[in-house]
Formats: sequence, structure tokens, C-alpha cells
Amino acid sequence: MYEHEGEDVFVVDSHIHLWDASEENVKSDGGEQFIQCFYDYHTGFTPEGEQWSLEEYRKYGPERMARDLFGNAAVDMGIFQPTYLNDFYHTGFNTVDDNAELAEQYPERFLLNGRFDPRDGEPGLRELERQKEEYDVQGVKLYTAEWRGDSKGWRLDSEEAFEFLDKCAELGIENIHPHKGPTIRPLNRDAFDVGDVDDAATSFPELNFVVEHVGLPRLDDFCWIAAQEPNVYGGLAVAAPLAVHRPRKFGEIMGELLFWLGEDRLLFGSDYALWNPDWLVETVMNAELTEEQRDEYGVEFDLETKRKIMGENAAELYDIDIEERKRRFEDDAASREFGIGDGYAAAD
Amino acid sequence: MGADARPAVTSERARRRLRRVTDPELDESIVDLGYLDEVAVDGGRVAVSFTLPTAWCSPAFAWMMATDVRDELDALRDVRDVRVNLRDHVHADEITTGVNDRRSFAETFPDAEDGVSAVRAKLDDKARLARQHEAVGALLEAGLSREQIVSLTPADLDGVGRPAADVAGAPDRSPDGDRESPDDDLACLALRDGAVHVAVEAGPLVRYLEKARETGFLADVDDPLFGTPDGEALTAERFDDVRARTRLASVNMSGQGGVCDALNEARRSKLGRKER
Repeated sequence: MYEHEGEDVFVVDSHIHLWDASEENVKSDGGEQFIQCFYDYHTGFTPEGEQWSLEEYRKYGPERMARDLFGNAAVDMGIFQPTYLNDFYHTGFNTVDDNAELAEQYPERFLLNGRFDPRDGEPGLRELERQKEEYDVQGVKLYTAEWRGDSKGWRLDSEEAFEFLDKCAELGIENIHPHKGPTIRPLNRDAFDVGDVDDAATSFPELNFVVEHVGLPRLDDFCWIAAQEPNVYGGLAVAAPLAVHRPRKFGEIMGELLFWLGEDRLLFGSDYALWNPDWLVETVMNAELTEEQRDEYGVEFDLETKRKIMGENAAELYDIDIEERKRRFEDDAASREFGIGDGYAAAD
Repeated sequence: MGADARPAVTSERARRRLRRVTDPELDESIVDLGYLDEVAVDGGRVAVSFTLPTAWCSPAFAWMMATDVRDELDALRDVRDVRVNLRDHVHADEITTGVNDRRSFAETFPDAEDGVSAVRAKLDDKARLARQHEAVGALLEAGLSREQIVSLTPADLDGVGRPAADVAGAPDRSPDGDRESPDDDLACLALRDGAVHVAVEAGPLVRYLEKARETGFLADVDDPLFGTPDGEALTAERFDDVRARTRLASVNMSGQGGVCDALNEARRSKLGRKER
């Protein structure tokens, strides 16, 4: 378990992937450009000594992933967010079935999220049922701007999407994670506009909408919607690594998020392997608001707030009993393999 | 001095003019953002190549920047021909050809659902709010009360941003209308009753006026100077909540600026590309 100035912090990394962008799996130029763009994000926001080679980055495999998450006791649990991109990669980029490969080795440590695309129609609904049945998914990751054939994306507030959200509610898939962040490839960027979250969140109060990447570059629209919809949350993937080289901007963004949403509706995510929690958790734990920022926003980014953001809020959404998990982690597969069981025993 | 005696277009002059072109998502000059690869001048011909922070940068944004580069240079005296070259973008060829052939966005991207004007208007609105934040900040800093601030009109700012004798130290406006950043200037603001004169940092006010006029928010000298996100006049009652919204608009733009900046650095070093 992560230790910060003598205090334990239970970390749930709410946004991780096990992807394959190896040259063999790249199907189109889009797939190559996609991983290249990810790599720019990686190098742009990773401290120099921690950067990977592009080869490692294309395909790192389950063993390395487990080591990066648990080897240094940075992360206690992870939530997989699948990204299919079948037009780009022969066997998909990061599918629920790929993710399951690792999750099954450490069943206590991972939660598998599924995905849907309303353009799949009836077979898509059946697939969602399969994901629930096979992996007990409690959430779905959604890419509203994914191109398919002539379609340039879809909206969360469309009739077709509502049919899928109905199905989620019926199956008990409560956590909806729309990617509303940096562009993949929308010709009109508004496929990532956050406006559609508003209506969906109002229409489905029993579901939680975790807007990934806090809408960046639409932080303003996102915060305004989230301030009015209590079931809208912010996922910090992409925002978090700003703390590395741009701590002042990170402080401003955290200030806005804490001002508009409060400390109970923000979830840490590394976006692994975009960034490695092995160093990112420490960076965020050490980040502070300046005195000027604390005055301006009237908020604190202290240990209590960080504990919520780093794990407790995700635990709440995913029904994770942290104390019970700690007891189980004293001697589970990951603790034995990486010698990290003592951290949990000591925390009792 | 007659037109014939004027120096030919120089790359420096072209570059200075290009300071007016902003990345619409960040509301910052593409020159300051380091997007330009080369500004080559040959007589009256100017060729500009630029690279954006990612190959995935929204084609609509890329289009806006490419057309703005073309149009700003077109407006320079003595420029006869402008060539724009967007490099290493998923739609580099379409955009470069479309802009140089003066085709429209819709002609260039027949499968796009909308044109760029709605996106541009939306981003311009955000830029106006972000700039309002800085301008109101400067006025608060100068000691104006919220009541005084909400009662201002463009007429009250008549002298602000004019590089004439009434603003000491302002550089001369060149025949192209381009001038150095006025950010360090102080402006003397005479409040309506004329009884109070205050010195205010001019840069934020000039920047705000420019965007508020460009977006059509300020059409008349007697319009209220500042607005709400919905485009209504700012009132003292709504001052604080609007201030929080404009701060958010400003943090959004500068925060995204931080993201693009890091990507730009990473990408340029990978491509081995330096500005020439």
C-alpha cells in the first residue's frame, strides 16, 4: 500500500489498459498514428528517467503491467477501461477479453469494465449481457467519437444510447465512463462535446457518469454540467500528469474541480500505460496547491482530500470495502509475488 | 513615403503579422506557441509551413489556423501570393490543398457534418470570457468597485489601446496595423463622471476589446462592456458567479495550453524539427 509521510493511502487506479499496438496488430494508418500520438502524450508528461521506448510502449504484456502496478506498491487495485478501435487494430487495441487475461491472475486486484457502442444495435445489447455474465462488469467505457463507416461518432443522449443505458441499469452496470477528452479523430470535434452527458445524467439518476479526462479541453463545460448533476464525476486521467512539469496548471485545474464538484466526485486514474502509476501516484500525492490557489478557490488539497481522490471515491462507486480488501491483500497472489503483503498487515 | 519606397515584405514582418493568428482552442498566438516551422519570403511571395502539437488536432481547428495564416498574410501590403503548408497532420494534404486553392471547408471535407463557423463562434465566445476575466482582474487590481466595473461601456475605454500620444510609451502603429504587444502599457481610465482617473494595465483591456468586438458582443460604444456567459450584460448581483465562470474559461484554455505545449515539445523533438 502506498505510504505518504507515514500515512497509508489505499490507491484505486480507475483507468488502466492492457493494449496491443504491436506492428503486427496495426491494421491501418489510423492505428499507427493513434499509438504515435499516445507516445507523444507519454513522453510529453513523463519524467525523463521514466520514459519507455516506443517498442516497449506498443505492447508491454501482462507481466510488466502487474509489476508496474504492484511492484512498488503504488496501486492496490485497478479498473480496466477497454478501448476497441477495431478499424485501427486487427484484434482490437484493448478489449475486455484481453484485459481479463491479467485480471484472472489477480482476481482480487482488478475490476473489469465493459463497453458498448449503440451503433451495434441488438447484437451489441447481447454482447453487453455477455460481458456482465462473463466478467461481472460494473461499469462501461464509452468512446462517443469513434468513427465507423460513414458515422463520425454518436451521442450519449440519443435514443439508441438510451436503450443501452436502460440495459446497463437493468443489468446493474452502474458506472458509465464516457471518454470526453483529447481527440481521437473526430472531423468535427464535437463528438467529444460534453453536452450530451447532461441529458443522460438527468435521465438516468440511478447511474453514475464518470467523465474521463474531466472533459479536457472542455473543462469549463464539464464543470458547469457537473455542478448541476450530482451523479456526474470527473476521472483525472490526463489531468494528473500535468503535475509533473506544470504544477501550477495542475493546481488551477484541481482548484476548479474541487470548487465546482467537491472532493467526493473525483477519481484518480493513470491511464496506464500512457503514464505509469509507479511514479505518477507519488507525483500527485506530493502535489500541492499554492497559497494563492487555496485562497482563490477556498479549497484544500490535503491528505484527507487526496485519500478520497486516490481511492475512496472509486471504492464507493464500485462497492469496494477497503478494510476487507486490505485483510485479503495481506496474502493474495500479488502480495506474495511482489512481497508487498507486510504493508497491509501493518495497516491493520 | 510612397509605396515603391517601402521595403519588400520581410520574414520578420510576415511573422509579426502572424502573431494575430491564434490557436482557437487556446486563444494564444501560433507564433508564441511555436507552431511555425518556416516563413520563407521571396519578393512578394510568402510560404509558411507549420506543424501542430498532434497529428490528430481537430481538422476544424487546423483549418481555421491555416485559413487565418493565409488571410492575415494576404492583408499585408506588398504580398502577392501566399502558400500555406500544414505538415504531419492526418489531413495535411486536404487542408494544405484546400486552403491554397481557396476552397471551403465543406468542399474540402464533403463528409463533415457541419462547417467550421459554429465551432469557431463557440471557441470565440470562450476566448471572450477568458479575456474578460483578465480585463476585470486588471480593473479590480486598479481599485475599481464591482459597481463601477459593471457600469463601464466601450466609450469609457476610448483611449485604451490607442498607441497615440495620450498613452505614453506606446510604440508606433506600422502601416500594416501591427504593433508590439501593449501588455506593459498603462492606460488612464476616466470614469464616466470624469471625477475619477485611474491607471490600469492596458494589455488585458485591449485584448478583451479586440475579442468582444470581433465576436459582435460589443457593437455599440454605449453597450455594457462586460457580459455573462449567456451574453447578457454583467450586473453587480451576478458579479461573483460570473467571475467564477470566467475564471473557469480562462483555466480551461490555459490548462489545455499546458497539454498542447507538452505535446508540441515531445513531437518536435521526435520529428527533429526546429523553428527556422
